[in-house]
Amino acid sequence: MKILVVNNMAPFVWGGAEELAVHLRKNLIEAGHESEILRIPFQWEPALRIPSQMMMVRAFELSNADRVIALKFPAYLIRHPHKTFWLLHQFRQAYDLHDAGQSNLPEGCEGDELRTLIRNADNESFGEAKKIFCNSAVTKARLRKYNGFDANVLLPPINDPELFPGGETGDYIFAGGRVNGMKRQHLLIEAMQYADKSVKLVIAGPPDEPADAARLVALVEKLGMDDRVQLDLCFLPRETYARYVNGAAAVAYLPFDEDSLGYVAMEAATAGKALISTTDSGGVLGLVRDNETGLVAAPEALSLAQAMTAISQNRRRATDYGAAARELWLDLGISWPATIEALLR
Amino acid sequence: MLEAEGHQVERVYLPQVDHPDLLFQQMAAYRWVDLSAADRVICFRPPAHFISHPHKILWFIHHIRVFYDLWDSEYRGFPDDHTHQGMRDALVAADTVALGEAKRVFANSKVVAARLKRYNGVDSEVLYPPVFAPERFHCRQFNDEIVYVCRMEHHKRQHLLIQAMCHTKTPVRLRLSGKCGGKPYAQELRTLIKQGGLGKRVILEDRWISENEKIDRLADCLAAAYLPLDEDSYGYPSVEASHAGKPILTTTDSGGVLELVQDGINGLVVEPNPVALGAALDALYRDKAKASAMGGAARERLSALNISWSHVLQRLLA
Repeated sequence: MKILVVNNMAPFVWGGAEELAVHLRKNLIEAGHESEILRIPFQWEPALRIPSQMMMVRAFELSNADRVIALKFPAYLIRHPHKTFWLLHQFRQAYDLHDAGQSNLPEGCEGDELRTLIRNADNESFGEAKKIFCNSAVTKARLRKYNGFDANVLLPPINDPELFPGGETGDYIFAGGRVNGMKRQHLLIEAMQYADKSVKLVIAGPPDEPADAARLVALVEKLGMDDRVQLDLCFLPRETYARYVNGAAAVAYLPFDEDSLGYVAMEAATAGKALISTTDSGGVLGLVRDNETGLVAAPEALSLAQAMTAISQNRRRATDYGAAARELWLDLGISWPATIEALLR
Repeated sequence: MLEAEGHQVERVYLPQVDHPDLLFQQMAAYRWVDLSAADRVICFRPPAHFISHPHKILWFIHHIRVFYDLWDSEYRGFPDDHTHQGMRDALVAADTVALGEAKRVFANSKVVAARLKRYNGVDSEVLYPPVFAPERFHCRQFNDEIVYVCRMEHHKRQHLLIQAMCHTKTPVRLRLSGKCGGKPYAQELRTLIKQGGLGKRVILEDRWISENEKIDRLADCLAAAYLPLDEDSYGYPSVEASHAGKPILTTTDSGGVLELVQDGINGLVVEPNPVALGAALDALYRDKAKASAMGGAARERLSALNISWSHVLQRLLA
């Protein structure tokens, strides 16, 4: 079949959704299909230009595609007789972020009309779908709550599982992935002052802003932790990142209320590493089960310090948690071939 | 190429379906594209020129031709009635406005530049599109073969060359390389070869030709043929042949190709009939020294016309 993957394009910005689209296309081709990615430009500021861009998407004509797999608003408004949604997220400023007071839409009646417009267009578009999949239970619940549509959860697989065969249970706790306030790497550094002196911590990944990196560097210095905390705050080649994961005693990942399992946790589980997370980390807890695949602490330094100490002092325990994490991950059966099959079923 | 110059570049590639009834809706869609995140946009094919941007540069490669120069042709495909005349007038008016918004308008050939002037009253600068990585092309020898590396389509007129082979008096050979657009034309070509008893002297390669194969064919051949019917631009096959230092055989009605090829200097320009083409094939075979000299002149012609990426970048970013 000829399958068009339809995604948004924010010119000069490349992120997780773009990577997902690339790997979706790659795996569609591996499954014997023809596939292309259509990236439709979308600029959400100023908000008053959103409606014309919705019209734009609606007015495009597609030809020569048997199926469309659409990922994001407003690209998913595109007309096609066989459209499957793999919804990464809606325009959250018109939904949950509005309710949370974090919307870029104007206040008052102008904003109300915009939100109504977006909701109506979404509803019409979801109604046209052959099938709707969501990338997480959170996205699914939002769709149900705000638009009244049911969906199946189809978690995005990891893209390069072969890089995460695991390895010796090492002597450090690894925290990888993007570095920012929401991912709370600073909590781990703060925890180090209460943890046993044998605990070592490695934080590696790209900071969202230079200030995110500066904050961690300053904290390590203030606490005098530079002999036990290693910072590698930059974009890492995948191989370097994988080496950190494969050699760790455990992987710590404690984002605030994440939508999904999170690539960091999925990759750690693939490598058979014990996981450390916090009670408010949302979707991540789908993989981190307390005292089974790792330890779930309260989101505060003291509680985290206990978890980090427990895992560092007992390698056997860390290894057992890691094996259980890998087993749980494999039981979920999340792989690209299975994902492609579900999307095309 | 822009990236090599240190710029950040994104390619925006949007869908478009040719149908008069869908024309204005799609024009509106392109008008609503918001690329304000970019410092500059460079637009090629219509309706991309409708994109609104404060620093829009057009490298115009053709109009929606059925409403322009192909109106009075078999290609129009819809009636010459009030509805479609109205569409045409509205399209021309909208095109003229969109062209007027651009900081600069470049055309890919003199033919297109003349149309922009005639139909829209817009002046443009001719900026010839170079081929990708031209340094890959080179000359190894001058064998006995005329090659035509191009998609096989009726309007590319591979059939004329086969017919011309029936009129040759020398052992010159012909190689047609490229994927055939349709089965009937492939069949027609095969029948012509059979009827002419040319099985030994004409090679028909009806398949996708890799870049390396193309480079090899051009490196070894005696000359390259390119004789489309009234094409807008000079066509990549003739530029690739020039980079390989090979003369180009073309015809008096090939349109934009004649902007590049000068008869007797960097190739041969003959009447589009089998007899004249046959004589040209023989002439190339008989005088290889001349063919080689014309091949050298073909390379020089590229510099004379400024067909290079450095020139393109300099003009697009001026």
